[in-house]
Amino acid sequence: MTKPGSHAEREGSQAELIRRSLKRRYRKERRFRLYGITAIFIALFSLVILFTDIISKGYTGFIKTTVTLEVHLDGELMYLNDAADPEQIAMADFQAPIIKAMQAYFPEASSRADMRELSRMTGSYASNQVRDLLKENPDWLGTTRTIEFPAHDTVSVYVKHAGDPGYSIRLTEQQQRWTDELLSKGVIDTGFNDVFFTSGDSREPSNAGILGALVGSLLTMGITLVIAFPVGVAAAIYLEEFAPSNRLTDFIEVNINNLAAVPSIIFGLLGLAVFIGLFGMPRSVPVVGGLVLALMTLPTIIISSRAAIKSVPPSIREAAEGIGASKMQVVLHHVLPLAMPGMLTGSIIGMAQALGETAPLLLIGMVAFIVEIPDGFFSSATVLPVQIFIWAGSAEQGFVELASAGIMVLLAFLITMNAFAIWLRKRLERRW
Amino acid sequence: MSISMSPAETTIEEGKTVGIPFSDDPKFHLRNVEVFYGESPAIKNISLDIARNEVIAFIGPSGCGKSTFLRCLNRMNDSIESCQIKGSLLLDGQDIYDPKRDVVELRARVGMVFQKPNPFPKSIYDNVAYGPRIHGLANRKSDLDDIVENSLRKAGLWNEVKDRLDAMATGMSGGQQQRLCIARAIAVSPEVVLMDEPCSALDPIATARIEELIAELSESYTIVIVTHSMQQAARVSNRTAYFHLGHLVEVNDTSKVFTMPEHELTESYITGRFG
Amino acid sequence: MPTKKDDVYGDHISNRFNDELLALQTRFLKMGGLVETQIDSAVKALIEGDGQLAEEIRSKDKLVDRMEMDIDEEAMLIIARRQPTARDLRLVISVIRMVADLERVGDEAKKIAKFAIKLLDEGQSPQGYVEVRNISAHVMTMLHDSLDAFARLDSEQALRVMKEDKRVDEEYQAAARTLLTFMMEDPRNISRCMSVMWVLRSLERVGDHACNIAENVIFMVKGEDVRHTPMEEAERVVGR
Repeated sequence: MTKPGSHAEREGSQAELIRRSLKRRYRKERRFRLYGITAIFIALFSLVILFTDIISKGYTGFIKTTVTLEVHLDGELMYLNDAADPEQIAMADFQAPIIKAMQAYFPEASSRADMRELSRMTGSYASNQVRDLLKENPDWLGTTRTIEFPAHDTVSVYVKHAGDPGYSIRLTEQQQRWTDELLSKGVIDTGFNDVFFTSGDSREPSNAGILGALVGSLLTMGITLVIAFPVGVAAAIYLEEFAPSNRLTDFIEVNINNLAAVPSIIFGLLGLAVFIGLFGMPRSVPVVGGLVLALMTLPTIIISSRAAIKSVPPSIREAAEGIGASKMQVVLHHVLPLAMPGMLTGSIIGMAQALGETAPLLLIGMVAFIVEIPDGFFSSATVLPVQIFIWAGSAEQGFVELASAGIMVLLAFLITMNAFAIWLRKRLERRW
Repeated sequence: MSISMSPAETTIEEGKTVGIPFSDDPKFHLRNVEVFYGESPAIKNISLDIARNEVIAFIGPSGCGKSTFLRCLNRMNDSIESCQIKGSLLLDGQDIYDPKRDVVELRARVGMVFQKPNPFPKSIYDNVAYGPRIHGLANRKSDLDDIVENSLRKAGLWNEVKDRLDAMATGMSGGQQQRLCIARAIAVSPEVVLMDEPCSALDPIATARIEELIAELSESYTIVIVTHSMQQAARVSNRTAYFHLGHLVEVNDTSKVFTMPEHELTESYITGRFG
Repeated sequence: MPTKKDDVYGDHISNRFNDELLALQTRFLKMGGLVETQIDSAVKALIEGDGQLAEEIRSKDKLVDRMEMDIDEEAMLIIARRQPTARDLRLVISVIRMVADLERVGDEAKKIAKFAIKLLDEGQSPQGYVEVRNISAHVMTMLHDSLDAFARLDSEQALRVMKEDKRVDEEYQAAARTLLTFMMEDPRNISRCMSVMWVLRSLERVGDHACNIAENVIFMVKGEDVRHTPMEEAERVVGR
């Protein structure tokens, strides 16, 4: 600072320095932005791959293959005189008229081997279907009826996935020929798989549906919500607003946090020991599942609810207290409504977690094969992720696509749940 | 020492306050008040009377205990667990800290306005009506309407908001919000209004409005105001109390404090020599 | 305890406030110095019959006036910018009041210079000059002492100045009587004596202004207004 010239000079060189460091800074910022974009891109890409994979594998799960036949319900063929007689029904052969109806298209197939192959064109429960129809309408005996049978799993795979390397075609060449011919005649046809949404599980992929698991999930989630939300919120309010801060409270707090990190299967063990072992509740029912999942979700709900309560500005609390509101009024009138959106979000996240949970439910027997659609909290049920797990592990190829379709249903369920949560949040927020 | 122009008092001694800390007709009668946060004392043996219908300003550097002391007056420190209060604090001769005393009733009599405007995220009407509602002051809707209108009028806000009582209070300007908070506080007809730096978040014009309002309210309420702005204390108060490191150093008529304070620390603070 | 004036006004958090207050004091003292010289020179011009010096005094009075305005403006700016309180406020207020007194003293100097020229034109008349010399010496000391009291914040010295004022009044009365006898002795002296009378009157006024300055110094230091109060009250205030 001796001469004005040197000052200006220094200023000039400083500006130069700044310019240089600016370049470096901008490069750094650009690099950082690039990392971020890359990360987001990777995440999006994975998501796209996941969805494409699931949808491409699973969309066929929503398509059923049917065989529509003119079946002559011939009493002689079935060894059946009176369809109203349960004894006769139990003894009768309902497969014969189906084979007969198929033979109408392929008169040359008359050997025993051919007939066996013909019978494996329709699903394994085709004869049961005929039996059930006759049981319901005994007067159909002797008449000819058009009946739509689900195609056999192997046929269905051939129709839907011929040429797909992921599937092996288990049809004989003769059966393939038959199938092609029936397809061209319109006897074998594809359509929307209404069975998938209207029935429970089955050993036969073409008869298996998701409805049982869906209802099971709904019932279980209902129990979880009814138990976990009020208990969790109440616990959070007590801990946050009323509990004295002493060692006991600290201990509880630490344990709640630990509980959130406990592997879910432990909760299954707990449920098995306490609800089933100690209280003697039945296995594989939504009540027990719901209770177990409620226990599992509680820590999440408590932690997120406490965070929501904490985030209510203390100024609001002070304002209410300053006017003379009691502790209870402060909490009920001000803290809770303001914390509610946050609490709901936490709860929905917990519920979503519970919805996707399999491990603890396996232990309390919700993995059982259940055909009937559960009609109450105490009827045996399974849930969506367990159903997917069962299907994914089944031998029949048809179950693979069902598993994928099941995943789509599960995702749709989750999205609906989240959408509902967001809607609820928005509504509550607007009210305040 | 003839050349010195320092005020007579230069030392601080616990429990000693220069000036006129006592009054013949006290609303608050506070003797030997001590406040501790855990082990550390925040207020060291303060004795003070707050007279009926006076405006008393608490000034002092940050952390001097003025806000803590203010909050003792309606037990806003109750929620802080480590906070311990000793001494005798009487409101109209009754002990504020009597365990049998209902804090809700106390706060209905001693209202409070905070540093940051903190309206409830509700409508303007609901904000003002909240106090009367929870205390059951109005049985009919029309009574409540009257209370709301009167309070808003007293707070000088009625003309600005009478057409939009259903609008969200949080959508108002900072100054309006603070006046709403004052309206909310006076809606339960308190006898005392405590104000904790009510203008620190406001612009000068909003501040001027609030100060105007304080002057009007002083006719019917006892007002205790904590402020960081010495000019504000000088403008609005009858008496000024200077706090320093938990001591009440000086209490005097405001005109005296700002022209000829009796204590050197008071003078140093108000002339901008520290703090 | 602060003993220097730098300590009394110089320890604000804001250094610029310190500088402003210091500048105000300095300027005031500078003006005080100028006014002292003006009076001193005026009396000298009168007694020695120095017309040129008297003219100089008259022209210098403009400088005094400008200094008054400058100091007033500076004080006003300090009030506007800093909102001074307590001792700072008292300093600024006292300076505003005292600067008016100084300006008047300057006017008195100008008046004396005018009479010096007039008396010079009318021819020498040594009558009354002894009294002028005495009184002027007295009020000059008072003025100087009051400014000194301001500079050193010495309220006791200020009190002494206040007490001097009474003696100046007595001296003035005595001088007036002496001049009156001169006039009765020889009516031709009346015109000149009247001029000297006016000079005496001016000097007496200077004493009053010095007394005012001393009162303000006491207000500044002790915080209590001792104007228009009995001397005992002022003594009590200073003795505190």
